[in-house]
Amino acid sequence: MAAVPETIVFVAAPPRQGLWSKAFHKFCRDRAGLVGLWVVLLYAIVALGVWLGFWAGDWADVTGPKWGPVSAQHWFGTNLIGQDIFARALYSTRTAFELGLVVAVLSTFVGAVFGAFAGFFSGGWIDELVLWFMGVIDSIPFYLLVAAIAFSLGDSPYAMYIAMIATFWVGTSRLVRGEVIKLKEFEFVEAAHAIGLSELAIIFRHILPNTFHILLVQATITFVAAIKSEVILSFLGIGIQDGMSWGLMIAESTIEVLAGFFNNFIAASLLMFGLVMAFNMFSDALQDALDPRSVR
Amino acid sequence: MTRPVLEVRDLAVEFDTENGRVRAVNNVSFSVNAGEVVGLVGESGCGKTVTGLSLLGLVPSPPGEVVNGEILLDGHDLLKLNEVGMRKIRGGEVSMIFQEPMTALNPVLTVGYQMTEVLRLHKSLSKRQARNAAIEMLGIVGIPVPSKRIDEYPHEMSGGMRQRVMIAMALSCGPKLLIADEPTTALDVTTQAQVLDEIVRLQHQFEMAVILITHDLGVVAQTCQRALVMYCGELVEAAPIDSLFASPRHPYTQGLIRSIPRIREHKIDRLPVIEGMVPDIAALPEGCHFADRCNRVQADCHERSPVLTPSAEAGAVACWHPLEPQHD
Amino acid sequence: MTKPLLEVRNLVKHFPVRGGGFSFVRQQLKAVDDVSFTLLPGQTLGLVGESGCGKSTLGRALLRLQEPNSGQVFFEGRDILQMNRAELKAQRRDIQMIFQDPFASLSPRRTVAQTVREPLDVHDIGTSLERRKRVEELIELVGLRAAILNRYPHEFSGGQRQRIGIARALALNPKLIVADEPVSALDVSVQSQVLNLIKDLQLQLGVSFVFISHDLAVIQHISDVVAVMYLGRIVEQAEVSSLYASPKHPYTQALLSAVPAAHPAAGAKRIILSGDVPSPISPPSGCTFHPRCPAAQAKCQTTEPRQTTLHNGDYQRQFTCHYPLGS
Ligand SMILES: Nc1ncnc2c1ncn2[C@@H]1O[C@H](COP(=O)(O)OP(=O)(O)OP(=O)(O)O)[C@@H](O)[C@H]1O
Ligand SMILES: Nc1ncnc2c1ncn2[C@@H]1O[C@H](COP(=O)(O)OP(=O)(O)O)[C@@H](O)[C@H]1O
Ligand code: SF4
Ligand code: SF4
Ligand SMILES: [Mg+2]
Ligand SMILES: [Mg+2]
Repeated sequence: MAAVPETIVFVAAPPRQGLWSKAFHKFCRDRAGLVGLWVVLLYAIVALGVWLGFWAGDWADVTGPKWGPVSAQHWFGTNLIGQDIFARALYSTRTAFELGLVVAVLSTFVGAVFGAFAGFFSGGWIDELVLWFMGVIDSIPFYLLVAAIAFSLGDSPYAMYIAMIATFWVGTSRLVRGEVIKLKEFEFVEAAHAIGLSELAIIFRHILPNTFHILLVQATITFVAAIKSEVILSFLGIGIQDGMSWGLMIAESTIEVLAGFFNNFIAASLLMFGLVMAFNMFSDALQDALDPRSVR
Repeated sequence: MTRPVLEVRDLAVEFDTENGRVRAVNNVSFSVNAGEVVGLVGESGCGKTVTGLSLLGLVPSPPGEVVNGEILLDGHDLLKLNEVGMRKIRGGEVSMIFQEPMTALNPVLTVGYQMTEVLRLHKSLSKRQARNAAIEMLGIVGIPVPSKRIDEYPHEMSGGMRQRVMIAMALSCGPKLLIADEPTTALDVTTQAQVLDEIVRLQHQFEMAVILITHDLGVVAQTCQRALVMYCGELVEAAPIDSLFASPRHPYTQGLIRSIPRIREHKIDRLPVIEGMVPDIAALPEGCHFADRCNRVQADCHERSPVLTPSAEAGAVACWHPLEPQHD
Repeated sequence: MTKPLLEVRNLVKHFPVRGGGFSFVRQQLKAVDDVSFTLLPGQTLGLVGESGCGKSTLGRALLRLQEPNSGQVFFEGRDILQMNRAELKAQRRDIQMIFQDPFASLSPRRTVAQTVREPLDVHDIGTSLERRKRVEELIELVGLRAAILNRYPHEFSGGQRQRIGIARALALNPKLIVADEPVSALDVSVQSQVLNLIKDLQLQLGVSFVFISHDLAVIQHISDVVAVMYLGRIVEQAEVSSLYASPKHPYTQALLSAVPAAHPAAGAKRIILSGDVPSPISPPSGCTFHPRCPAAQAKCQTTEPRQTTLHNGDYQRQFTCHYPLGS
């Protein structure tokens, strides 16, 4: 049966790039985005180094005098009990990355799955349920929720993680739901039905891959949100329980600032500001590069 | 001898794309006389819309840029106007209707609001005057009970009605030239027939010139006096309708005419086609761009690009080996 | 007489819609209203009508991509509408679909190979190697080269994408393909290429088609039998040559005369229908075509016309009009 009909069409167009590599090229042309990416990578290397024990292993040791000044040995001076502020700030980078990554990945995953199901079955009971659930979470003040979870878990170190994931997935989920409602009207979804594919397979194989650009951008936004929230939560004493973080450093600095010693505060704020800023620049550029209207 | 309303000379438009700078419109020259309907035909991507947009200074920039040429409206070069001057022309002396009636109207504003906006901008009418003028215009384009429908939103109307509203808007300031970009491609045959009829009738009534952009030569046959055939951004043939259909000179035109879907007395097994497909404008072949698909191609076609040369019967053709003109 | 491949009886698909303005009353939009037809093996039924008359809904209902409200769809004698999930999945092998929008009908993040292969994966046909060979065979069958298999849909033109969609539909060797306006979004020159391909494939593989289009010239070329739809109903149905030579229903005649002439000299007298298709939520009384019908008389406003059937050899000719043309 393989007799070939007469009309063989040749592909005249030169091989064009795939969607992702096109987005990549677009991203590479965005100066601010590239700067953002490099700075984020630098932070990531710092965090990785801490994790592998290359540096800042002595963050908890007393290595200098109380409130020691900036010196060659202590780049940001020392704190109330003589610990090196620079080491603590570096160590906090690892905490920030751990928190950011875990929260971003998990909340994006949860948001994607719930959003996809709600969108695919929009108007049905699954959708109603998910929407109701999202409404409930939205209506609880964030800090109250963290406090409640921390309380119920008996001051577990994971309380903050769980609270953040439980809150942040909602935004992603709403976006994904909207996109899926749009996507499921596309004929390729109908085509998948027509060849006999199950609904689950359609959601995971055909619909979700088309929301990757949204998920990626949402993950970067969640990453930043997690780091920023950590500062406030730790400041309130319901954040990081053991270890060190920028939020704890800022909390620590409240007494010091009154005494006219700003090193702790400046070190933590500066490092956090740098990362948040860089991540935001990266995130904006990513959004532009992945915008499906420009990547056709 | 009628004077031309519009004269386009050596128009060239370029775009910056991932594949480098491409020339979407190249060396296009034509003129349109007062009261004439001219068809601009060609396959998708051949530069029809870009040509239309550049007449109104609407080529998106960046990535687009008009790199060469003159566009003379009543002898004044539009390309020399600044944005303010151009805005006076748009919707006033020259107006345009677009392919997709769905997206060309703002969904959150009533039809009346959008129509009076144009009228008040160009004609400085009062609110009441503008509304009355808009109602009159809607009546002219054949919308029943215009005084009621003027307060409706675009989504409350069918595709055909929306296209009529677009036409009413485009005509409300009495333009000298109307550019209609595939005005019926999104419509049914029945509605297409209605809208084309309307355009022809209004063209007579307002004595304006019309450039009708379409990929369907059947539409051209039915509405136009003259046709310009485009391929890969260039004009390949220009001729009065009768001679174009009776005796096309360019092999591409002939192919297009043959592939018009038509109702036949007797069914045929295979439809005539132009083999192959339009080349990517980022990688145009040397010489004649049509050579790969042409049934009259000869060795020299691959070497030198043919230029548009006037031929018999007020036509012009860009081909080294054009078909013989036929006289009956 | 050959046994029909597909027999549709009294198919109905209504959509519940909210009434206009602030009314919360649920109304019924009669997208497909009491449609019946039969299709013989190897033949093509052309389904033609204006936008919104229910062509796509009917096509989707045949595959149960949208559940009909009532009626029967017999495919080789078995009612598809009575099947359970498993039976339906097996049935999907025999009935496939080709879609209108070449830009929306292929998953943008899957390669051509993945797309064409998917039906084989879903129905677990052949070994991995056999599937790969089959995909290559299919892609060449629709006039493309196997070298393009690892490309993504956005790299192709509309006509090429449509070919990929056809290859996907052919993968399971179906007996029937529902093609919903497969050439409407293409340039005229490319339209002819794709139509020729469809016709070749039909001759070669013996597939039957339900071919939906609003273009009568296209329908004439491709169909054996034509059904004309108006507001959810089939108003005329006949073998192609007799329908085009002598339409019985005034709507068919109006559709025919609206096709642009292929030649400026062919100045046929045109019937231009006034107005738009009425809303299928509240269709006109009597004959639903009467507000636009050039042949309407008083009776048409009040009384619904009954279907008339004329027998003509192997073919039947049916129309629903009080005052049919040429009688
Ligand atoms: N899911 C739905 N909910 C409500 N109404 C619908 C739905 N799908 C279709 N309709 C309505 O059913 C009618 C028939 O629609 P259908 O898409 O079958 O038309 P069509 O003949 O294929 O038109 P076109 O030529 O525009 O494709 C229309 O009035 C449409 O608005
Ligand atoms: N905004 C744009 N950016 C880049 N290329 C464009 C843009 N608009 C049009 N083009 C290119 O210009 C060429 C002509 O397009 P167009 O005039 O829209 O074709 P058509 O004849 O179908 O109306 C096409 O190859 C198209 O890809
Ligand atoms: S120049 Fe040559 S290739 Fe080009 S259209 Fe004429 S005959 Fe064909
Ligand atoms: S029944 Fe009357 S209105 Fe309906 S199509 Fe026939 S003549 Fe026209
Ligand atoms: Mg265009
Ligand atoms: Mg449809």
